[in-house]
Amino acid sequence: MLSVREIDVYIQASHILRRVSLEVGAREVVCLVGRNGAGKTTTLRTIMGYLRPRTGRVELQGRPIHGRPTHEIARLGLGWAPEDSGIFPDLTVAENIEISTWTRPEGRPAAERIERAYRVFPGLRRYAARKGPEMSGGERKMLSIARALALDPEMLVLDEPFEGLSPAIIPAVSEGIAEITKLGHSILIAESNIHHVPEYTRRLYVIERGEIIFAGPPEDAWRDPALTRIIGSAA
Amino acid sequence: MTGGLVLILALLAIVVAPWVAPTYYLLLMLPFMAYAVVLLGLNLLFGYTGLVSFGHALFIGIGAYTGAFLAAHLTVRSMEVFLVAAAIAGALVAAPVAALCVRYVKIYFGMLTLAFGMVFYTFVLKFYRLTGGDEGLPFPRPALLGFPLDAMPKTDYLVGPYYYYSLAVLAVATLGMWRVVRSPFGLCLKTIRDNPAKAETLGIGVTRYRWYAFMISAVYASVGGALLGPPTGNVDPTLAYWTHSGNLVFMTLLGGFSSFFGPVLGAFVFIYLQNWVMSVVPYWRLIFGAILAVIVIFAPGGLMGLFARARPAEVARG
Repeated sequence: MLSVREIDVYIQASHILRRVSLEVGAREVVCLVGRNGAGKTTTLRTIMGYLRPRTGRVELQGRPIHGRPTHEIARLGLGWAPEDSGIFPDLTVAENIEISTWTRPEGRPAAERIERAYRVFPGLRRYAARKGPEMSGGERKMLSIARALALDPEMLVLDEPFEGLSPAIIPAVSEGIAEITKLGHSILIAESNIHHVPEYTRRLYVIERGEIIFAGPPEDAWRDPALTRIIGSAA
Repeated sequence: MTGGLVLILALLAIVVAPWVAPTYYLLLMLPFMAYAVVLLGLNLLFGYTGLVSFGHALFIGIGAYTGAFLAAHLTVRSMEVFLVAAAIAGALVAAPVAALCVRYVKIYFGMLTLAFGMVFYTFVLKFYRLTGGDEGLPFPRPALLGFPLDAMPKTDYLVGPYYYYSLAVLAVATLGMWRVVRSPFGLCLKTIRDNPAKAETLGIGVTRYRWYAFMISAVYASVGGALLGPPTGNVDPTLAYWTHSGNLVFMTLLGGFSSFFGPVLGAFVFIYLQNWVMSVVPYWRLIFGAILAVIVIFAPGGLMGLFARARPAEVARG
């Protein structure tokens, strides 16, 4: 599905990512874990086309996407829910969701896509007429994920979906993501808190100072004392 | 009072005005309606897409000169031909201008539009044989819907058939723009204005959409420019001068760019206020400069913003 192969990313003169590689298969949930500043968001932003790798490749279903503009990558089937939610304040909840069905018309019928978005986060239905600034942080996170889902993507890229949420709202977001996995979408989650890594995660990547230092099942990561010192302290 | 009711009453007042209002004030309605068409288009770019153009007088000039050129060199007299030709000429000029401008945002976009406006201004000023130079070109009275109406006294023509013709064009332009801003395309423009980087993640090609918005706004400005021709009877380079573009931005700010009808209200207030201030003091720009400063500092939402703020208080008073 998604293949990131040995990418090196620079921001101005700073070498941010060093030969980062990761794979996300069809219907897989993969987590990229690391401390703040380790390179998680840079990896995701490179996948989404905001940054260009100086070396290496990013492929979606075998097609190279590195160097393509972000809107083309989105139309190829990558749904993005950014860390800051990225809700459009002048649009209602309903419009935030519906707009994805228009900007990427290919795929399932619009009505079905909208229904799936509301099914994953049923609470949003009540706020359909509200605008972004009238919503809590948790509701905005849910809307951000629902909007990405309404794009009917092959894969969702979620940047810190639990960041800044109150413990009371985290289960609702977590259940929503679990529901999305049942719909057959692949998911790549970047997370700085190891305790938020969902139990249905197939594979874990740990990133530290721009390098992948672990790739494997989450349970293997917990068995490695050196690794748990790092990802434990990420909590 | 709901917005819809206010709109119906305003429309009714405009329709009955020729029977009750003095001719002088009716004549002022003609530039108002022409500018209202221009500003509906400009606000698609300004209020809905977040791009402030300081060069839209260029397209008013294109529209007005297209009509005058057709009349002077090809002896065309049909207002419908003028409007269609103005829209086509505006689109043809806007296509490359927009393609260059929409790659930039904020002050760079504004300065580029200003630069293209000044290039056109210089063109119409210097190409005397084609444009009449600083004297401009006459804009003879056009036939409306195939009726020549040449026998009619000019004032009767302007406050009668031409008044309603302009109103019809404004009504069609308003309905068209209402559909545009309420469509998914309009929503996409809002997402681009609010956060272009995030809009891209929805599959929106930001540069392409900005180009579409620029094209639509240029066509509106050109049609509005053609409508300005008959009331003045002459087109000259000042139509394309940068201060004219500044007036368009002023009208938009005065009415409020956050509201669909804000710029239309801005055009109305600007024209009648300018007329009144000019009759009282010679330094009307001094007064207007002060008004602009007050709006920007105390009422950034313009007059429509003030009305919106006042509305809850009315409700509370019962």
